[in-house]
Amino acid sequence: MLKNQAGIRFYIFLAIFVFLVMFPFIWIFLTSLKPQNELTSFAWFTSNATLESYASAITTRPLFRYMLNSFVVSGLTTVLSLLIASFTAYAVTRLPIRGKTLILGLVLASSMFPPIAILSPIFNFVTDTGLRNSYIGLVIPYITISLPLAIWILATFFQKIPWELEESAKLDGATPFQTYRQIILPLATPGIFTTAILVFVAAWNEYLFALAINTADAWRTIPVGISFYQSEYTVPWGDISAATVIVTIPIVILVLIFQRRIVSGLTSGSVKE
Amino acid sequence: MAGKPGRKFQLNEKQLGYAMVAPALVLILLVVIWPIMLSGWNSLFDYRLNDPTKSERIMSESLNLEEYADNRYLVEQNVNELSEAYPEGEETFNETWAVVEEHHEELVAEDEMAASYQEVNSMLNDYEPITDDNLRIQSIDGSWGSDFEAAMDEQIEAVNSVQQQADGDIALEIGYLAAQLENLQGSVLSPNFVGLQNYTDYLSDGRTWTALTNTTFFTIVSVGAELIIGLGVALLINRTFKGRGIVRASVLVPWAIPTAVAAMMWSYLFDGQSGIVAHYMAAIGLISDPGSLLTTASGSMFSIIFADVWKTTPYMALLLLAGLQTIPNTQYEAAEVDGAGRVQKFFFVTLPLLKSAILVALLFRTLDAFRVFDLIYVLTGGGPANATESISVFAYKALFEQQNFGAGSALSVIVFVCVAIISFIFVKLLGSDLFPERAKK
Repeated sequence: MLKNQAGIRFYIFLAIFVFLVMFPFIWIFLTSLKPQNELTSFAWFTSNATLESYASAITTRPLFRYMLNSFVVSGLTTVLSLLIASFTAYAVTRLPIRGKTLILGLVLASSMFPPIAILSPIFNFVTDTGLRNSYIGLVIPYITISLPLAIWILATFFQKIPWELEESAKLDGATPFQTYRQIILPLATPGIFTTAILVFVAAWNEYLFALAINTADAWRTIPVGISFYQSEYTVPWGDISAATVIVTIPIVILVLIFQRRIVSGLTSGSVKE
Repeated sequence: MAGKPGRKFQLNEKQLGYAMVAPALVLILLVVIWPIMLSGWNSLFDYRLNDPTKSERIMSESLNLEEYADNRYLVEQNVNELSEAYPEGEETFNETWAVVEEHHEELVAEDEMAASYQEVNSMLNDYEPITDDNLRIQSIDGSWGSDFEAAMDEQIEAVNSVQQQADGDIALEIGYLAAQLENLQGSVLSPNFVGLQNYTDYLSDGRTWTALTNTTFFTIVSVGAELIIGLGVALLINRTFKGRGIVRASVLVPWAIPTAVAAMMWSYLFDGQSGIVAHYMAAIGLISDPGSLLTTASGSMFSIIFADVWKTTPYMALLLLAGLQTIPNTQYEAAEVDGAGRVQKFFFVTLPLLKSAILVALLFRTLDAFRVFDLIYVLTGGGPANATESISVFAYKALFEQQNFGAGSALSVIVFVCVAIISFIFVKLLGSDLFPERAKK
């Protein structure tokens, strides 16, 4: 199919597709620049562009604190789950242990778990241990999401590393753990990095646990914080669109820089090569 | 440990393998398997966080020693103070205390109970929190519990009748005494094990079936639309063209932003007064008026499906595009030699070779859609009138808005069972395709 050359009709279609996908962002960005009294107008551009919505978005709610919370929780989750997952993925793909299918089956099954099914016992646990409204209180449940994901993707990447290097390391007298640290890990770095991005995004986007466990405003993460901008009586669309723009910018940058890696990570588990 | 001279332990490959999978398995056991079992256990109780007499899971009649010791102390203090401050009621107060004492003697006649009581009491004196449930909740035998409750009923009544004769601050103080007696009485916990009653209650409740129907409808329609549109887009962009990077990036952004943030964006775009999408849809006659999107049942369901399709179709297209790119060109050339047209090539070459990629994408998307929470909770809150409430949203409301952990757990177990059935069907369909070579070495 690759021989099909792209014609002008194709590019028009592509432009429409990209525009439709990006339309909500474009509109939200244009809204964030409008002054209060123009928020209900359907004009695309305002002639009185202002940053007052941005000022209001960061002063009425601790938006940067939310971003910090999300960053710390997602960072901790990523480091922790990658450390543990890389061990498991290595053992499952490279070492002669029994029950590999069972282990991978368990990993896959736990990635299919509905989070609501474990929410209340986890909530009781973090309440009893006094971990509500803390970073660790969220990292613990996030392991349930990130660990299976990380093991699954890493195993695919480890699988692709040629065996010959390991064999020669073994011949040179390296212990299995040395082989892992000095041969496999450096070779798997791109894969580990890709996995880290996907795990980080998954943790960054999590809503249910963050909503139930970190209820104090100072400990809210981005998704929960944004959803609490609306109050019972008013919906400050200006603030919300400005806050959305602020929190979307880091994601857009992340995607622009790492798009190739993200795509290779997303598709690695689903396509046989 | 690598590279250090004189290492003490050197694991062989097998031992190292087991040591390396152990942490992950232990964690999965602790944070996934154990909690789901606890959910199942909780669902068998009438267990409510907002009701002190039901905030524990109790199989047999028990006594909350912390409550008991605490309130017994308060009653004693109050009886002494009130006897001096209001001599007219002294006789009743002393009588009440005597009854409390009488039952207390009977309770601590048992050595084990006496020891536990002593321990709890001294911890309370030191203002230590009592976190050990085995100490705090003691099961009680025989008729002590019901006797005590009956005796307390009488005493509360007696104290209340004294209160009616008193007035001013004294009446208030006597009221406190009655309240403390009620708390003391409330330290006797009757068993709240209800077996499968939470399940039978919910399975005969129309709201559960509405939620299940909503979830299934949402899952089938949105995943179906995502598959068809995603496949179409993947087929169209499976060629060389300029600007791949821009397309890829623009497709990844909806995937990467948090669902809750996307839901907030769409709630603005769908808004009846200021929503541009609602405005345009009404303008081209798709909906009767802009307000109907988020205020009618069908409009709301359409809105959440629309938002979900927007957010996940690009992801679906990416997965399918990766699958398409693994189909070798020679397959198409061979089909062409046999005289196949475009449609035939699609049905006899593309689809069969794409089958496992499609099934894997469908499996993950279906499970994701069935668990849907953020999108609905933020965009419609399940409304209007539960018309868009998914089963996860319903379970969350039972758990955290009604603080009903027993019944809410029953609902979450129901979600779990549904998800297990769906996965089972897909795994049967996929067979070993789900495990690429990695497990077979």
